[in-house]
Amino acid sequence: MNPIRVAIIGCGKIAEQHASQIRRIAGSQLVGVCDSEKRMADQLAERYQVEGSFDDVQQLLKVARPDVVHITTPPQSHFKLASECLRAGCHVYVEKPFSIDLEEARAMVALAEELGLRITAGHNYQFNPEMVRMRELVRSGSLGGKPVHIESIFSYDLGDASYVNALLGDKKHWVRMLPGKLLQNVISHGIAKIAEFWDSPDYTVTAHGYSSSKLQSAGESEIIDELRVVISDGRQLTAYFTFTTQVAPPVQELRVFGPRGTLIVDGLHRSVIELTGANSAFKSYLNFTLPQFNLARQYMRNMFSNLAAFLRADFHMDIGMRNLFAEFYQSIQSGGAPPISHREIIFTAAVMDEIFRQLDAAGKDVSMLAESRATMSLSGERA
Amino acid sequence: MTPLTQNQTDIVDPSIIERDELVLITGSNGFIGCKVVETLLESGHTYLRCFVRPTASLKRLNEVLNRYPGASVEITKGNLLSREDCSQAARDVRVMYHLAAGFDKSYASAFMNSVLTTRNLLDAALRQSVMKRFVNVSSFAVYSGTGLKRGAVLDESCEIETPSYGRYEAYAYAKIKQEELVLEYSRKTGLSYVILRPGAVYGPGKAGITGRVGIDTFGVYLHMGGSKRIPFTYVDNCASAIVLAGLKPGVDGEIFNVVDDDLPRSRKFLRLYKKNVKRFLSIPVPYPLAYALCALWEKYSNWSEGQLPPVFNRSRCAAEWKGHRYSNEKLKRLLGWTPKVGFEEASQNFFKYLRDTAH
Repeated sequence: MNPIRVAIIGCGKIAEQHASQIRRIAGSQLVGVCDSEKRMADQLAERYQVEGSFDDVQQLLKVARPDVVHITTPPQSHFKLASECLRAGCHVYVEKPFSIDLEEARAMVALAEELGLRITAGHNYQFNPEMVRMRELVRSGSLGGKPVHIESIFSYDLGDASYVNALLGDKKHWVRMLPGKLLQNVISHGIAKIAEFWDSPDYTVTAHGYSSSKLQSAGESEIIDELRVVISDGRQLTAYFTFTTQVAPPVQELRVFGPRGTLIVDGLHRSVIELTGANSAFKSYLNFTLPQFNLARQYMRNMFSNLAAFLRADFHMDIGMRNLFAEFYQSIQSGGAPPISHREIIFTAAVMDEIFRQLDAAGKDVSMLAESRATMSLSGERA
Repeated sequence: MTPLTQNQTDIVDPSIIERDELVLITGSNGFIGCKVVETLLESGHTYLRCFVRPTASLKRLNEVLNRYPGASVEITKGNLLSREDCSQAARDVRVMYHLAAGFDKSYASAFMNSVLTTRNLLDAALRQSVMKRFVNVSSFAVYSGTGLKRGAVLDESCEIETPSYGRYEAYAYAKIKQEELVLEYSRKTGLSYVILRPGAVYGPGKAGITGRVGIDTFGVYLHMGGSKRIPFTYVDNCASAIVLAGLKPGVDGEIFNVVDDDLPRSRKFLRLYKKNVKRFLSIPVPYPLAYALCALWEKYSNWSEGQLPPVFNRSRCAAEWKGHRYSNEKLKRLLGWTPKVGFEEASQNFFKYLRDTAH
């Protein structure tokens, strides 16, 4: 099989992670990098020994002839660049957030489908080892049926000075120009975890958002960094999404509640805990002591499993990204299903769109609690 | 700050500019930048423009400026990644001291904040065509120690790290690229420049112990190669070298290392630190062992495809812990610089600051 030729457009911080993970995938070759700032493209090309360095997308596509293009630019340019690459016959990997809004997300997916090309979103946390394990357990019937309720908690550390200072200090920072600002740049990871399970045709979204006291004391009034969302299909499935910058220590957790079991996926510690009937089969006071033994055993199993993966050198910080790339390339070469369904991409974009619409509608004074709700269809249409 | 002597202020005379001509200092609220501002004011310069980030705390800078109420000092807030902000910063500037730098751990961010910012600043300055000199404050981090024997003299003629990214240190990479950019502009446009490469700058305002002494990792302090000398420069001494480099006639196109005279051995410095600031357990690691451990780490990193990034590697070990002698002969000869604050006084000032701020 010919090696898959990969190019990157946008040579900032995240492109570095892409380049290093692409290099780890057997049968892939990074053939070109492109940035409107040529010096940025040159520095990435030099460090990763990439032959083609460009500041013009058409030149990249023409000279480097990639099979796949990774778009790692700010999201405002995703739609234009993805469309350009798709029309040139390239498969496209679009970093998160996939698009500025639902309309763009739909258009990109539709164009890829029309042209018979693959497109995916950079929801790489979905492919971390703990998420892979969670899927195995779901497939093996651990939940005992369809999920009843999902909780996705995503906390974010505003202490990362290199990012936060740049954002807070620059009123023209590209993150500020997004409709959902900071939220739009980070919450897709958490929403995508819910999207994976969502197949109900209609749902309502209710969002609450506000600026934390920490941001307000820094004189920040535009950026919302606390968000609570309830999603419901009104019949069988509900989901809570929490985004917070104020929780310490940080939490990144997914809880999937089924009729006979619950899975707790801890993204920060790469652990999966299964709560089944066995945990509640004890009588009286035994119920307060014996289940813990089972939980302790599960934590130990997680620890040994993580340790074994580390010793096999298969436990990189960006392993989810590598896994997603590998599955995406595999789907291109084999013609199989893409690693992230288009339905999930659209659901994530639709929910995010609705959250930002509600927060915006709640008023420009974001220090006030915003609350609103809307009913959506699976395709993202507002009812 | 130790006041400059009459003799030292005279050193800046003759100068390539008058004392009422505009001088720009980027990174002017930083640890070194503040001292550069203070040194310029002390030596009689009355027209400064201090460029700072919009989110920067100006406490330290304002403390300096308040002592010179007669000086005309503009504080310009902006982002050097913005060409518009750079144009404003560079307007009518005669000498430019460029201290702002990217300290980010990611290569892309460090490159952006050191190289693209410098490019924007140079483009803006060259459009004005009134600038007489661009002073690029680089770093000792650009040097490779690989080809130098232990104990050999490291001076301005020594090799730069090659490849520039080989040490897995974004800051060193960005500084090398920044220097390359300045040289490129000089070739293409005739830019008048001076490059300074300070060693480990220390003094009140700086937190902690330089990584050239050792590393604090996983709760253990590893003291790497205890017999090596540390290329220290006290912040006041460093600032006076920087100021001189911007004003002294006849040094265009020169590169200067900035290190003090009486450089302590690592062992002595650590002992003094523990005695004067706080006691902690440190494990001495002789250089050959440090080198072997770094080689092992590097090998594992390659084998595991970066599961542990190669932050400890042979290039870094050679550059930081091998143990060289350091020359400031050129700095003294061409700029007439002398370090006015000796190690004893400087270290006591530094330790007192650390005690007072409980670092």
